[in-house]
Amino acid sequence: MTTFEAPRVEVVENALEPGSSTQPRRRVKRRTINTVIWFVVLLAFTAIVLYPLLWLFLSTFKPSSEFAQNPGLIPENPTFDNYTKVVEGIAGTPLWRFFANSFFIAIMAVVGTVLSSALAAYAFARIKFRGVGVLFAAMIGTLLLPFHVIIIPQYVLFNKLELVDTYWPLILPKFLATEAFFVFLIVQFIRNIPRDMDEAARIDGAGHIRIFFSIILPLIKPALITSAIFTFIWTWNDFLGPLLYINSPEKYPLPIALRLYNDATSTSDYGATAAVSFLALVPILIFFIVFQRFLVAGVATQGLKG
Amino acid sequence: MFNIRKRRMAAAAAAIAASAALVLTGCSGGSGGEEAAATYDPDEKVTLNLAFWGNDVRAALYDEAIAAFNEEYPNITVNSSFLGFPEFWEKRQTEAAGGGLPDVMQFDYSYLRQYSENGLLLDLEPYLGNIIDTEPLAENILQIGVVDGETTGIPTSTNAWGLFTNPKLLEQVGVEEFEGGDWQDYSDWMAEVSEAGGGALWGGTDYTGRIQNFEIQQRAKGEDLFTEDGEPNFTEKDLAAFWEQGEDVRANTIPQQRLEEIYPVSGFDAALTTSELTWDNFGAGYLGNLGEGYTELGLVAPPVTEEGAKDLYLKPSMLHSIASTTKHPEAAATLVNFLVNSPEAGAIFGTNRGLPASKTMLEGAELDPLGQQISDYEDSIADRLGDAPPVPIVGYGSLEEKFRQLGQELGFGTLTVDEAVEQFFNEMDVVLNQ
Repeated sequence: MTTFEAPRVEVVENALEPGSSTQPRRRVKRRTINTVIWFVVLLAFTAIVLYPLLWLFLSTFKPSSEFAQNPGLIPENPTFDNYTKVVEGIAGTPLWRFFANSFFIAIMAVVGTVLSSALAAYAFARIKFRGVGVLFAAMIGTLLLPFHVIIIPQYVLFNKLELVDTYWPLILPKFLATEAFFVFLIVQFIRNIPRDMDEAARIDGAGHIRIFFSIILPLIKPALITSAIFTFIWTWNDFLGPLLYINSPEKYPLPIALRLYNDATSTSDYGATAAVSFLALVPILIFFIVFQRFLVAGVATQGLKG
Repeated sequence: MFNIRKRRMAAAAAAIAASAALVLTGCSGGSGGEEAAATYDPDEKVTLNLAFWGNDVRAALYDEAIAAFNEEYPNITVNSSFLGFPEFWEKRQTEAAGGGLPDVMQFDYSYLRQYSENGLLLDLEPYLGNIIDTEPLAENILQIGVVDGETTGIPTSTNAWGLFTNPKLLEQVGVEEFEGGDWQDYSDWMAEVSEAGGGALWGGTDYTGRIQNFEIQQRAKGEDLFTEDGEPNFTEKDLAAFWEQGEDVRANTIPQQRLEEIYPVSGFDAALTTSELTWDNFGAGYLGNLGEGYTELGLVAPPVTEEGAKDLYLKPSMLHSIASTTKHPEAAATLVNFLVNSPEAGAIFGTNRGLPASKTMLEGAELDPLGQQISDYEDSIADRLGDAPPVPIVGYGSLEEKFRQLGQELGFGTLTVDEAVEQFFNEMDVVLNQ
């Protein structure tokens, strides 16, 4: 927060600075020009960044056959057919089912990751148990392990457990604090919380569980929200995990379902692909807009000491 | 839908067990049970996993086919799963390593050798001629699925290399349909169209970017691209000579830059070119992408390299294979037989999986005009059809892609022919010595 306050103080000082009447006016003018330039530059960048999204949105109104002939922005023969077709779903599974599957997986993953990472982080940050250093290093080490290394062993494991074609392989690891990145994030967060608070609680007779839920958990909320947002977005967009573990089409989450509209070996339905891609973006867009300020707050406080 | 079927199957099994299956036996008929009785217990309850690639249209057809299969074999529950082509193989690679391949798979020719050599696919030999009817399948078609003496795949359907043309566009520019001839004639014909098109329409795409065109030119000399042992069977000189044809061709065809703009559709899809050399099952896709204004395509034989040579061949558009880890090989073979040979499957799939390879399946299929056109086309090139080349080497897919990329670079003029040849041989070296 201090970083945000500092410039504001300066601004106030500048405005109140006494002196000749021409000086502040010139300064104001320069600032206006600067602001205008900034806005123009930023708008240009925003336009570039948003163009693909806009193209996607407008393309959802193009009939499939138009994609080949008209790569431009504006559809020649706008139609709602893509949406009506997409809502019907694929091979007897309606679209809402894919959305529901994605939501289920994403929400379970968020709950699992936040809960288990916070618990693991508390243990690493506050409890002195045997081998804490080695285990912490091992956990950080898993960050360096490329996902592709563990795909096959993990598949063998879940296959032997006969959990393939269920959501367990996608959700269970999240409840076991396997996302080292978030554990690390929260550990750092907890380390910055003064130990005096824990000690005060301990004197009052609280154990680890009480300290965790009553003292630590409310204080690490920004870190939890950051973890939750990232987990939601990553899980929502995850393609490889569901691809490997889910067999039944009615259990597919959205990213897999999206690809079914676009088959290179026969006719690709580009219109439907665009429409369903756009629909799949909407929840994550809303999610991001709603939680964006928490995300910034969570990351910003991360860098501050004390 | 899948749930309903599962529930129906569970109900059917329960009903049979309770000997109160009057209605069910009525609709399933006795014949199916008797056929299966020769090889395994028809009342044994079996669940099979079936995986295929395709879109929702094909998925609906498979659903229908499985329902028809279940009328004959109510004891076999089939759980189907489908994905797009690249995802399908990504998933299979992991399953292959982890021992979880589905019992029955729609299979691709380019992966057949790799999976067979690693012992992942069941040798179908014991089932040929009994569970799997070989009568309707021609010998040269059965041979396609043989790797190192083991039959690991049965082709569902065949494709041949062909030349698609767009009659509507040709009429617009007032050029006659390509009448056949050698590669020079084809190039001249494309030049004529491009000239008449005046920079908005071209006669075709540079054919030297496709490895198949190189292949049929080599086959005209009596040489496949790779030997039976998977060794390359062509020299730097052969390849350089082929790519040098491109310099002339590119002047008369659609510019590479224009192709990049419309990617992933091709110039032919976008109604910018009047011809394209490709597999003959691409017609439906072309018509779909061309849109409603186009209802028919021309399909003629590719240019002749050498008169009387057997340069063309039938390729399986897909095969059916069984995983070696399956617990129910007989049931799986029964399903494969149904999907490959039955007239019911023919009636349901039509030409969705390509032109049916099996005579009985072809008889059951009601061909749409395009399907009929492909069938007629494959008949018309009968005297140019030779034996299929050996099953593609491991990594053929990546070589095909490299060939296409180098063709692009040549199109842009960023590589000389000699450099491209060198790069291709380097890549081949890497692929072959993996």
